[in-house]
This record gives sequence, structure tokens and C-alpha cells, in this order.
Amino acid sequence: MSEERAFARTFDSLQEIFEFTAGYFARHGVDPRIQATVDFAVEELFTNMVKYGATAEPGSRVRIALEAVEGGVEVALTDIGVEPFDMTKAPDANVDLPVEQRRPGGLGLHLIRRLVDSWDYEYSPERRESRITFKKTLAGTPAPGNASSTGEA
Amino acid sequence: MLAIDFGAQDVVVITGRLDAAQCPAAQSFLDKVQGTVTLDCGGLEYISSAGLGVLLKTQKRLLAAGGKLRLAGVNRHLQDIFQYSGFDQIFEIEPAR
Repeated sequence: MSEERAFARTFDSLQEIFEFTAGYFARHGVDPRIQATVDFAVEELFTNMVKYGATAEPGSRVRIALEAVEGGVEVALTDIGVEPFDMTKAPDANVDLPVEQRRPGGLGLHLIRRLVDSWDYEYSPERRESRITFKKTLAGTPAPGNASSTGEA
Repeated sequence: MLAIDFGAQDVVVITGRLDAAQCPAAQSFLDKVQGTVTLDCGGLEYISSAGLGVLLKTQKRLLAAGGKLRLAGVNRHLQDIFQYSGFDQIFEIEPAR
């Protein structure tokens, strides 16, 4: 059974979002071992929508839906009144740079790509609606070291 | 919620969740530390990319002054995040026992 809530477009919503995910995990028996990863992906996607949703209608909210699936959960974040921005196509960060060349930022989407089983983006021009979904299961947890780390920050 | 403060032997102890909303408080505290500093992450349940930015900014400042930030008590979830971020190449990381 899925549950959906809408959240104000501010970082201050994060606490409320984490309470929603924790509550859903508890109510639907989703394995708590994947909760930190699910919260990570939700936070990164939500904060990107906050940062890059400047054209969104004033007062509009980001909707987050959770649905328990075999061994894990599927999550959808929906943003209305925005320009298209396919986060799944964002380039990887270059994590092999020496520390003096590293700059804060650019790691969120790079990490989601490695931590979730799958993710997908859809845009509806009629509704100017961005919708990003991802799936996370315990069985699908990747082993560290298997992911590549190429591309630009 | 997040708490960050000095513990025994000048170790900095961070507990709770370092999400984007909590980063200003963590950065404000870490901006004041000097030298070689151990950050006890044993009670750090969660970190997002905004939190990684706080650690990276602190490490760059300390390294430039001849010090460094060490990360101790790092749990499995944090280890994965640090490894995928390349932080295992720029921080000394001591896993949780």
C-alpha cells in the first residue's frame, strides 16, 4: 500500500520527511537496514528540487510517495510547475581528484546512482511536472568498490 | 537532530543526523577547530552530501595549515558513502569496532 505526503519547498521540511519515511517503514515492515540509503536518496532529490525549483509556483509543494515492494521500497518525488531537469542524467563527480582540487558539491546524484537499485525520470510538459522514482531493496544493495568513479564533478 | 561538541582528549564527538538542515551548525563548530582533529562518528547515524561538503571543507582548511581531520567509529553505511565519494583517499578513516 502506498502513502503520499506533500512537503513545503524548504530544507526545514527534512525533519518532517524523515519522520514520514521512518513511520512508513515501521507501519509496512520495510527492512530498516535500507532506511539510511532511502533517506539519503530522498534528501538529495528533494534538496535538488528545492534548489532548482525557482520557477515553481509560489507555495507549491513537493509530493513524496512510498510503496513497499518485495524486499524493499519504491519512492516517487513529484514537483509541479517546473522546467524539466533529468537528475538521472547528471554527470558523475570525479572522486579521484587530489584533495586540493576537490570542491564541496556534486556528490549527491553521483552517490544515488551507486546506492539505489534503479531510478527513472519522467516529465509532463502539459502539467510542467517532474517525477523521479527510485527503487531500493536490501538484495540490490551494491557492494562498495564495484562502482566506477569517472567523469566530471 | 544533531549534536557536536568536544569529548575526552579533545576528540570532537558528533551524534545524530547530519542532513542539509543541520549543516550550518556543524560547519560553524568545525570552523573553529585547529590542528589534527579526530571526529568520533560512532553516534553519527546518517550523513547526506551536504554533510560531506562540511567534512571536505574542514579537511581542506586543516590540511592547508598542516593539520588534518580524522574520522573514527565509522559505521557501515557511512563507510559506503565515504568510499563512493573518494573520501577514503583524503581522510584517515577508522571503522567502528
